[in-house]
This record gives sequence, C-alpha cells and structure tokens, in this order.
Amino acid sequence: MRPIITLTLVGLIAAALLAIVDDLTRDPIALAKAEMKRKAIEEIFPFDIDSLKNVETKKTRFYEAYDRNGTLKGIAVESATTIGYSGKIEILLGVSPEQKIYDYKVVYHLETPGLGDKIDKAKFKEQFRGRALEGTTWKVKKDGGEIDELTAATISSRAVTDAVQRGLQYINEQYPKTEGK
Amino acid sequence: MNEALNILTRGFVRENPVTKMLLGLCPVLAVTTSAVNGLGMGLATTFVLLGSNIVISLTAKAIPDTVRIPSFVLVIATFVTIVDLLIKAYSPELNQALGIFIPLIVVNCMILGRAEAFASRNGIWYSVIDAVGMGLGFTLALLVLSAFREVLGAGTIFNIPLAGEEASTILVFALPPGAFAGLGLIIAGLNALEKKKGSK
Repeated sequence: MRPIITLTLVGLIAAALLAIVDDLTRDPIALAKAEMKRKAIEEIFPFDIDSLKNVETKKTRFYEAYDRNGTLKGIAVESATTIGYSGKIEILLGVSPEQKIYDYKVVYHLETPGLGDKIDKAKFKEQFRGRALEGTTWKVKKDGGEIDELTAATISSRAVTDAVQRGLQYINEQYPKTEGK
Repeated sequence: MNEALNILTRGFVRENPVTKMLLGLCPVLAVTTSAVNGLGMGLATTFVLLGSNIVISLTAKAIPDTVRIPSFVLVIATFVTIVDLLIKAYSPELNQALGIFIPLIVVNCMILGRAEAFASRNGIWYSVIDAVGMGLGFTLALLVLSAFREVLGAGTIFNIPLAGEEASTILVFALPPGAFAGLGLIIAGLNALEKKKGSK
C-alpha cells in the first residue's frame, strides 16, 4: 500500500507545482512570443514602425506596418515551405505596399549549421531586395532561374526561393481581398 | 569542510560527468554548435540537477525502494518542465536555439545518476554541493567543446567573428561528426595529461 500512496503523493505535488508555474508563465510566454515577432518584423523593414495591425486569412497571417502619420509603409507575411534540406522552413517576408521585397527573416529552420543556415545571412538575402512576383523567374540559377544559390546549400536556397515566392503569392492573391471585408 | 571541497571539485575534472563518466552525451553532442548554446544548456542542466538533488535528498527516506526510480523521474521531469517554461517566458532567444533539447534534459542520465548514486544517500548540504560541482563540471565540458567547435566550424566565438566573414572554416566541426571528434580529442588530451602526471 505504501508505495502506491507515495507515488500518488509525488505525482499530485508535481502536478500542482506544474499547474502553478504554467499559470505564472502563460502570460510572459505569450508576451515573449509577440515580442519576438515584433522584433523580426522590425528587422525586415528599413523604416521605423509606429504601429502594427494583424490581418488573418485562411492560409496565412499578414502584418501591416504603419509609420507615425498612419501611412501604410510595408506588409509582412508569414510563409513556409516543406522542401528544405531538413523539412520545414518558415519565413517572415516583408514587402512594400507596391509588393516589392524589402527583406525576409527565417523564423524556423532545421538546415545544416554552417551550410544551409546561411539562408538567413544578409549576403544571400540581399539579392531578393526589390524583386516582385512578376518579372522574376523564381528558381535558383542551377534550375534556370535568377536566384544565386549558396555554395553547398542548393537545396536550402531552392527552399527559401520557394518560400519567398509563396509569400508573394499569398500577398497577391489573398491580401487585397481581406481589405474589403 | 575538506569533504565538502572534495565533493565540489571532483566534478570539475576528476569525475567530470562528460569526460570521465561519459554521461548525458546526447545534449553534449547535439547542442554544442556554439558557445552560447553550450553555456545555456549547461546552466539549465545545472539548475535541474540542483533542484532534483535537493528534493531527492530531503525525501529519499520517505520513499519506498520499489517506487524510488519512478519518483525520481517524476521529480526530475517536473523541474525540467519548470525550466522549459521559464526559458520560454524570459529568454525566447535561448529557447529558439536550444529548442527540443531542454525537455530532453529529463533523459539526461547524469541527473538520474546523481540522484540515485549521491542525493538519495546523503544529506541536503552535501547534495547541494554535489549538484553544483557536477553541474559546473558538465557546463565546463560543454563550454570547452562548444567553443572549440564554434571557433573551428564557424570562425566565431560567442557569435563574435574572429577572422572576418570570408575566412574559410573547417565545416565538419559544425556538423555532428565534428562533435564526436571534438569530444574524443578533449578526452584524449585529458587522459594524456593524467598519464603524464601519474608517471612522474
């Protein structure tokens, strides 16, 4: 009998403790997540953001960035691809209101450290700046496109190219429609 | 006091959990790609070890032998979850870097090993010292290995570039084989040192 009582007690105390800690950290965790997102958005836009507005659609989420005068300066979109070297890659893509790329930031990836993770380095990202959905062949040079792939990380480069293109498509297809609603 | 000092320092080199006992190698090999990760993982593990050693040294006598191991695992898992939640809440950057390896501290056999071999048989005072000593030893090993790998594999230390962005690096040290090779080299070096000392 005693082992059962002991183990039950240990379990009960552990559960109670975890419930308390979970309760205490729930708000800070949500806050930290929002803060990380805000920081990522600030990083991809070259201007000061005064306020952000979330726009949710079926497939993704947009963030409208306004300056102090309330003018729309940029739109960020969450995009992802599953063709990375180690699966899923999630990016946050920032474009101007004219839908030209400012920059992007990789928010989740499992690419090889030292090779594939260079997809988040400025040197690779620079070449996307100013591009739009139209007028660019969204493929790496090896596949006959315009994006200069990273040495020894063609698969990761291909995946990011795909994610960026998807992001632009999301904005093109879904963004204006939600504005009318 | 001598006994306390002995317990504290033996985890550093003499009975280092990583280089001598080869315990908890999963996080050692997996997260040591950069010095920041190594340090973060080491400190998180130390915190869990400290918490579990304290609780287990206080409760060991009340827990019957038949449910000893499951109780220890529950205690450790509770502390790991608390650490995981705290890191998520107050250091999201570290959370992003260490990711799934924090919950995996649960299965770090070093912690269960200390609970079973030391904390359950000693008082709280020695158990705390043991946890601090072993935890620091673990952190030290992780820090050395991760600094070694970061310098050679990425050309940086604590994310500060050492030789310009274009410097060529020995990429293999950033990859899993480099973790094994690096750990092997460290252990070999320590053994060679010990041998030299012994033969004198």
